[in-house]
Amino acid sequence: MPSIVTARNLVKKFGDFTAVDGISFEIRTGECFGFLGPNGAGKTTTIRMIHCVSPRSGGELTVLGRPASVDNREIKRLIGVVPQEINLDADLTVRENLSLYAEFYDLKRRPAAARIAELLDFVELKGKINNQIAELSTGMKRRLQIARALVNQPQLIIADEPTTGLDPQARRLIWQRLRELKGRGATIILTTQYMEEAEQLCDRLVVMSRGKIIDFGSPDELKKKHDRPNLEEVYLKLTGHGLQEEAAE
Amino acid sequence: MNLSYRAYYVWKRNLTAYKRFLLPTLLVSLGEPFFYLLALGLGLGAYMGNLFGGAAYVNFLASGLVASSCMMTATFECLYDSFVRMVHEKIYGSLIVTPISAEDVVAGDIAWGAFRGIISGFLMYGVAVLIGALPLSLPVIFGLLGVMALTGLLFGSLSMIVTSFAPNFDFFNYYTQLIISPLFFFSGVFFPLDKFPGWLRLIAKFSPLTHAVSVSRQLFAGRFSGHLYLNLLAIILPMLAAFCLALFFMKRRLIK
Repeated sequence: MPSIVTARNLVKKFGDFTAVDGISFEIRTGECFGFLGPNGAGKTTTIRMIHCVSPRSGGELTVLGRPASVDNREIKRLIGVVPQEINLDADLTVRENLSLYAEFYDLKRRPAAARIAELLDFVELKGKINNQIAELSTGMKRRLQIARALVNQPQLIIADEPTTGLDPQARRLIWQRLRELKGRGATIILTTQYMEEAEQLCDRLVVMSRGKIIDFGSPDELKKKHDRPNLEEVYLKLTGHGLQEEAAE
Repeated sequence: MNLSYRAYYVWKRNLTAYKRFLLPTLLVSLGEPFFYLLALGLGLGAYMGNLFGGAAYVNFLASGLVASSCMMTATFECLYDSFVRMVHEKIYGSLIVTPISAEDVVAGDIAWGAFRGIISGFLMYGVAVLIGALPLSLPVIFGLLGVMALTGLLFGSLSMIVTSFAPNFDFFNYYTQLIISPLFFFSGVFFPLDKFPGWLRLIAKFSPLTHAVSVSRQLFAGRFSGHLYLNLLAIILPMLAAFCLALFFMKRRLIK
């Protein structure tokens, strides 16, 4: 399978601090690829370089066949980003949030309206089209962010901790939608600090800690290799401590 | 520099968000022109007679306030409102993941500040026409549109530079108290500058608002001085410099 993202010795530094420390990976077209690790492991920093809003400090990064660089419109046009924080436009309605976004990608008004109806159906927010953002629950906001990321029919979907702060039910609904997208052939990059999420969704994943990749493989391969019943145990074995502990440091 | 037509999308985003508050905002914005023109123009002006080349003080004042209210509105829009959009509402962050570049975002937001400034200047003009302080004239309207667009872009860009360094709202006080307030009082809006001591007059000459006020007065007088092009250059050159600096410093803050 051809690769959609390739990184070689990718480095990101903020002053003296090295957030991403020479990592290499290859993401294949059509797979769901996970970055698993605690807060501060370098997951978000890595994907910000992939979707061209952060310059790399070293190494090589190829996305959709092009070298990634800041504000590379050719790449940005083909990617949909579901950000970690909720950054919907609170001054606008649900419809305006999506229709303006469609315009940002130079979509024409009529095809955009059809696309928006389809997307709201997909994320089960059809009845909320004229609502204000403040009237949505957190789960609905997260789903709307998924719809927004799909407006431009992206070849690559990046979901940065898409279920953080959600209750189990709302989380399962998001998983379902992401799985359906993958079923339709989408390539998905997922960052998460939830082991269960990674096991449920990812074909392959890398485990990150302190800016480095400490292991990689499919969830099954990792469990087998380390002889552990689940990813959480694998992670404990790899790092010598749990996800939550490291996040608290 | 990575600037494109997509700056227009940013401007349009702001307009879409603003539409909801349009009527209340416009009504509130009518208050200030009324108070200035009534209190200072008619109240204070009554004690001045026809000192201003045969015209009433309210006429002199109104033609200056048109320019200064454009400055004020563009300034505050690109300080407080832009800061809210960037830091609190995280709008900038949601825009730059699309084909819109950081430069587009900043340029569009500055253009929006200038647009608000133009509306504010025309509200002042409208009120002045209503109370008979200024004449209604189509050529003047077009002339004002031009000078206010330049003034709005200049002060929007300057504010955006300040915003690019601002850790919080308090930071803006330095700029508004130390730069904008003196400009407001010493740029010939309230009185002619010729009775000022020489050194103050020199400083006033460096204020771009002085030149915007001067162009506005020339438009209303229908007589243009030989220095008109100098007045315009004194707005345009700092505007271009401030615009480029605003894009540079804002990009540094947005792209890390």
